Amino acid sequence: MVVKVCLHTSLQRRTPAGLVRHLEQELPAGATLADLVSALGLPAELKGVLTVVNGRMAEPSQALAEADDVHLIPTLSGG
Amino acid sequence: MLIWRVNLRTGSLQREAIPEPWSRLGGRGLLARIMLDETPPACEPLGPNNRLIFSPGLLVGHMLSSCDRISVGGKSPLTGGIKEANAGGTTGLQMACLGIRALILEDQVAAAGETRNDWRVLHLSLEGARLEPCADLAGLGVADSAARLLRRYGDHVAVALIGPAGEMRLSAAGIQNLDKDRMPSRIAARGGLGAVMGAKGLKAIVFDAKGAAKPPIADPEAFKAAQKVFSRNLADHPQTALYRDYGTAAMALTCNAMGALPTRAFSSGSFEGAESLSGEHMREVIQERGGEGTPSHACMPGCAIRCSNNYAGADGKSLVTPLEYETIGLMGSNLGIADLDVVARMNWEVNDLGLDSIDLGAALGVAARAGLMAFGDGARAMELLGEIRKGTPLGRILGHGAAVAGRVLGVLQVPVVKGQAMSAYEPRAVKGTGVTYATSPQGADHTAGNTVRAKVDHLDPKIQAALSRNAQISMAGYDTLGACIFAGFGFAVAPEVVPGLLNARYGWQVGGDILQLLGKETLTLEREFNKRAGFTAADDRMPEWMTREQLPPLNSVFDVSETDLDGVFDW
Repeated sequence: MVVKVCLHTSLQRRTPAGLVRHLEQELPAGATLADLVSALGLPAELKGVLTVVNGRMAEPSQALAEADDVHLIPTLSGG
Repeated sequence: MLIWRVNLRTGSLQREAIPEPWSRLGGRGLLARIMLDETPPACEPLGPNNRLIFSPGLLVGHMLSSCDRISVGGKSPLTGGIKEANAGGTTGLQMACLGIRALILEDQVAAAGETRNDWRVLHLSLEGARLEPCADLAGLGVADSAARLLRRYGDHVAVALIGPAGEMRLSAAGIQNLDKDRMPSRIAARGGLGAVMGAKGLKAIVFDAKGAAKPPIADPEAFKAAQKVFSRNLADHPQTALYRDYGTAAMALTCNAMGALPTRAFSSGSFEGAESLSGEHMREVIQERGGEGTPSHACMPGCAIRCSNNYAGADGKSLVTPLEYETIGLMGSNLGIADLDVVARMNWEVNDLGLDSIDLGAALGVAARAGLMAFGDGARAMELLGEIRKGTPLGRILGHGAAVAGRVLGVLQVPVVKGQAMSAYEPRAVKGTGVTYATSPQGADHTAGNTVRAKVDHLDPKIQAALSRNAQISMAGYDTLGACIFAGFGFAVAPEVVPGLLNARYGWQVGGDILQLLGKETLTLEREFNKRAGFTAADDRMPEWMTREQLPPLNSVFDVSETDLDGVFDW
């Protein structure tokens, strides 16, 4: 399956073409949010990061589904 | 430290000792105490019995990072209740250096007609206080007024001033303060305190701390040690780097991801143009354009976070400083506008008029619902702001904020509580912040207790009251210290720093619960004032339409129970 990922602020990826914050990630069926984090090469324990799937806060154990909209958001206290 | 009391009718200017019951308070807490002790709660906010009070928080004056904020208070013409609005900049620092714990402005000379020509400026220095005429500033915008005042009094002074909106006594008028680079851009925005100042015939207050020493410290070594711990914790905290690089605008994509970005007059929580309003995009634009723009700027001397910015246009010339998330949410996505340049120009305009960009953005959203502008039409939005500068009836309606605009224009879906517009967190998607909007004595205001950062299910109605309670207590405490909302994450690493700093500064012996004690005392005083002003539990409610109309894309309503709302302050 393929999920959509948005990497916020400091998690953006620096590439030769510039910073990338939107990408698609292929994962095996039944993969969890923790599996996605691992596939992205990020630390397993994402300290200080809010994980939001389809608009709702999600735990690492949450199973993902095709076309899920995943946001990894370094925590801020508001505006 | 002392109190300055100025009577605008008699011209009396008096220095007073701080009464004992006020001696352990500053900022928001002291405002609440003075209001309850001296101001008739049922008074007319724009009449002679209301007071306008300036008070730096307890820790102000030492260039402690992010802790030099000025609190301004009085009875709000917008909410009809107690009001505290705080701002960064240099006003708090210079007041504290002058030894002023509170400046109390009383009474007024009633305006003879619609347009008055007897505007005055209050000047405070070590030599004393004086009131001087400044009729030449009548009708001038904040930028031109500040420039003239700096030429007149020297560019080392701090200035708090109103713009045309305050002169017209519009309910969404705020009080602007200079930032550390002397830009009049740090506004005590909320609740119409600029109108209270205008009603008193005061255009500006100049604080000249030339020759003044920093406030005394009872135990300098202990203060230095506590300051060192706080500074290190703040510098090491990951949020400091995030705010430095992306500013508060980073919240745009966060809120959009959570379905909480106010969009098209609070009709959706998701905006298709969020990407071009984001802090990530803004940083790239500022860096590409160069010139006067900078993605990182300190509004107060000594601030290590530097979350502010200067946003420049394509020609490298500044369009506005700063461009912040709340304005982006209310004047961008809330109006269907996806262009940061357009939002920046609107922001400069409301800054210069001396208006709260949150209430104005919400009012323009209401105007769009009423058909006065199309969503996404930035040129028309600027025309509507132009109506305010001209003082036309339509402009005045908008300048009184979203609640009045809704009533006049026949729009029922108005995002306000106690007459004050909501900030850029949709309460149907971040329900804890919604509880704060509903119950805060200040009216809808995210700075009274935002819960967006909590790692919880923000849609679960059962857990939100406790979240809001804790956030409201902490924020009322920080507002009493004079600490910026973002100093909070630095203090949270080592909570013992707060009593450490207070004990060292004042020779007190307060314990580890002082932040909560100050917060609870402040909220209790504010609620008592509002109760005497006629507020009941019915005022602590979300607008009914938000409990009924589903918010896409999560299709949620505000469904925190009334029992929970009524129990927020049961501690």
